[in-house]
Amino acid sequence: MTFQAIVFYSFAAWLIFAAIMVISSKNSVKAALFLVLTFASASAIWLLLEAEFLAISLIVVYVGAVMVLLLFVVMMLDVDYAALRQGFVKKLPIALIIAIAFFVVLYSFLTHGEFSAEKFAEPAAKAADYSNIKALGRVIYTEYFIAFEIAAVILLVAIIAAISLTFRGRRNRKSQNISKQLAANKKNRLKIVKVDPVVSANETSDELAVNQSEKQS
Amino acid sequence: MNESMNFSLITSEIFLLCALCVIMIVDLFQRDKERVLTFTLTQASLIVLFVLGFNSLGAERIISFDGHWVTDELATVLKLSIYAITFLALFYARSFISHRNLMRGEYYLLTLFSVLGMMIMVSANSFLVVYLGLELLSLSLYALVALQRDSSVASESAVKYFVMGGLASGFILYGVSLIYGATGSLLIADVAKHFSENSIGLVGQFGLVFIVIGLSFKFGAVPFHMWLPDIYHGAPSSITAFIASVPKIAAFGMTMRLLSEAFGQSISQWASMILIVALLSVILGNVIAVSQNNLKRLLAYSAIAHIGYFLLGVVPGTQESFSAAMYYIIVYALMTLAGFGIVIFMSSENKEYQKVTDLRGLGRYHPWYALLFSIVMISMAGIPPFIGFWPKLEIFRNLIINGYVVEAIVAIAFSVVGLFYYLRVVKEMYFAEAVDAPEISSSRSLKIAISVNCLLLLFLGLLPDSIYQYCLTAFNLMG
Amino acid sequence: MIGLTDYLILSAILFSISIAGIIINRKNVITLLMCIELMLLAVNTNFIAFAHYLEDTAGQVFVFFILTVAAAEAAIGLAIIVVLFRNRATIDVEQLNQLKG
Repeated sequence: MTFQAIVFYSFAAWLIFAAIMVISSKNSVKAALFLVLTFASASAIWLLLEAEFLAISLIVVYVGAVMVLLLFVVMMLDVDYAALRQGFVKKLPIALIIAIAFFVVLYSFLTHGEFSAEKFAEPAAKAADYSNIKALGRVIYTEYFIAFEIAAVILLVAIIAAISLTFRGRRNRKSQNISKQLAANKKNRLKIVKVDPVVSANETSDELAVNQSEKQS
Repeated sequence: MNESMNFSLITSEIFLLCALCVIMIVDLFQRDKERVLTFTLTQASLIVLFVLGFNSLGAERIISFDGHWVTDELATVLKLSIYAITFLALFYARSFISHRNLMRGEYYLLTLFSVLGMMIMVSANSFLVVYLGLELLSLSLYALVALQRDSSVASESAVKYFVMGGLASGFILYGVSLIYGATGSLLIADVAKHFSENSIGLVGQFGLVFIVIGLSFKFGAVPFHMWLPDIYHGAPSSITAFIASVPKIAAFGMTMRLLSEAFGQSISQWASMILIVALLSVILGNVIAVSQNNLKRLLAYSAIAHIGYFLLGVVPGTQESFSAAMYYIIVYALMTLAGFGIVIFMSSENKEYQKVTDLRGLGRYHPWYALLFSIVMISMAGIPPFIGFWPKLEIFRNLIINGYVVEAIVAIAFSVVGLFYYLRVVKEMYFAEAVDAPEISSSRSLKIAISVNCLLLLFLGLLPDSIYQYCLTAFNLMG
Repeated sequence: MIGLTDYLILSAILFSISIAGIIINRKNVITLLMCIELMLLAVNTNFIAFAHYLEDTAGQVFVFFILTVAAAEAAIGLAIIVVLFRNRATIDVEQLNQLKG
């Protein structure tokens, strides 16, 4: 067994274990921490594939920012996780069957020979001064220029959307809604109550007044 | 023709992005509760975009930015219809959102961002740019659906929309990664060239399956439609009107780029999958719609059925059938907008959506609007002389001349089922006993928008060539 | 020797796990979000493996953009979850049954 093989199999085992724990953890905080482990082992596998820049950014950007955001939200929301697990065992068999069937189909065509070692030989080692970041940077600002600009717009949308969904402005600010006041009509405000004629006149007017004041408040 | 870095080819996109930044800053300093200036600027920029697009009609096909971008007649015509229908949709939205704590500048901003995403989707010429345009559109739409923050149904449908969208993107991406492995390129032109020289192979087929599943999720076609009615029902009506209509046009553009251009050599591979999805959508959509009492859910199921008809148009895989499908999707967007326009129109300040029975008495108390709504329903059912009839006819004609006779008969049979629930709405308006005069909106802009939209359905139906000729030129079918 | 197929099978396993996760965690939206992240990780591993064996940078560039978009998507998804929680005090999707017709 070569060194690469040992690294690959050990990290692949961690990856699969952590991914299974993500989907089966009782507590979302635990699941988020296992997701961090999944990303960390995936980044080791990406290093084996000589994608150094992406491996680092997976750790720095993904684990460092996105996962921390996720953990914040998970801890901020006071969720009853036990209630969320009802029906977990009931769905487990069908989930297993679907996932295994899915995997078997994928496995059978991936090993069909189109990706065999003869067709895709291990590429020659890169020169000593080869830099993955340089290679990526060179194409991102030229060949993929338009994609780069669109990605910037997507991040702008994310900022606007996240702020407009969660920012509530200053609290306790009272303002007058003119259109609502103008749109008020008799039908919505006033309820005519049919009253039994036996009741004395005094009580009737009181009831109407109470009704009106209730509507207006 | 191939050019790299020719910025004149993306003038419209650059203009929209600049306009967006200006509107964003202007909106920040606005004290006006009604956001008149934001609204005016938004509509003005859509008009400018329309003029810019109209001027580039008839230009030759140019591929630019190292093969990632394409400007052709298809993209231009689709963009023009996107601008026009968004313009109309914002008029519908105006009075609706001012009553519902939605009157914020973000509503217009996110709508414009989604328009930008759609423009990118229809002009993309590589899997990467298609994906980025799709995400720009989807992310804006998720936020739009959730924008009514105090409504629990709206946030519920936003969550459902988000999960569905994420799943669909995952499937499309897995398919794209397999295609990349099989061909070694992300450019649609290179993929097409590769598959015309080599057979598609097992990996290519699997990639195709994943892409078709992802697209069906995005269209909301059966069997991937589970949450679509919930989403359409729960979102605020003006936003439902938007997400049910305009993005479908862009999704058509994406389907053309992904399936017809990249996999033009292996039509038989994807046509059979699309055919199953399309027939299931036509059958289930029409059958379930019959039992719906809520107008929004009825329209949602009818939307599923319409997507089925549209996909049937894509199945034969000839240029004529593509242009028929394009005609269908544009007309569908216009009709659906009018359909949800009814829901907006009938929503009063405190009531969000309406049961079909709430339309009772409309024929007696508001005959003009009852007439307009009947036009919408009859047009959706596909009865001449309204516009809904012509694209359906073209689709069935293309199916039959390409040998899909049985499928065409099934689709026609279920259109008759569809007739039943559309006409039930008309029946409720005219023939059911009314207790009270139904409430209608008093907003002038809404009254104008709905009249214009419904009369368009009639006039375009009388002049069916007016849109169809553009669809034909988009596929180089006009001399 | 580790070949392309091994990496592809690894990502296929990851993809299947995320599908299983989506089915069994239909109730918990936050876990659903994590399952979608797992799915994207599987896709990314696929792209990087192909990019390595094809000796082409395009695959790596695609991953770069998927990471960007996924970060934006997570931000919006979490914002929507927070809004939902403020309205309903739950993140249980199956309890979300106001919308059944």
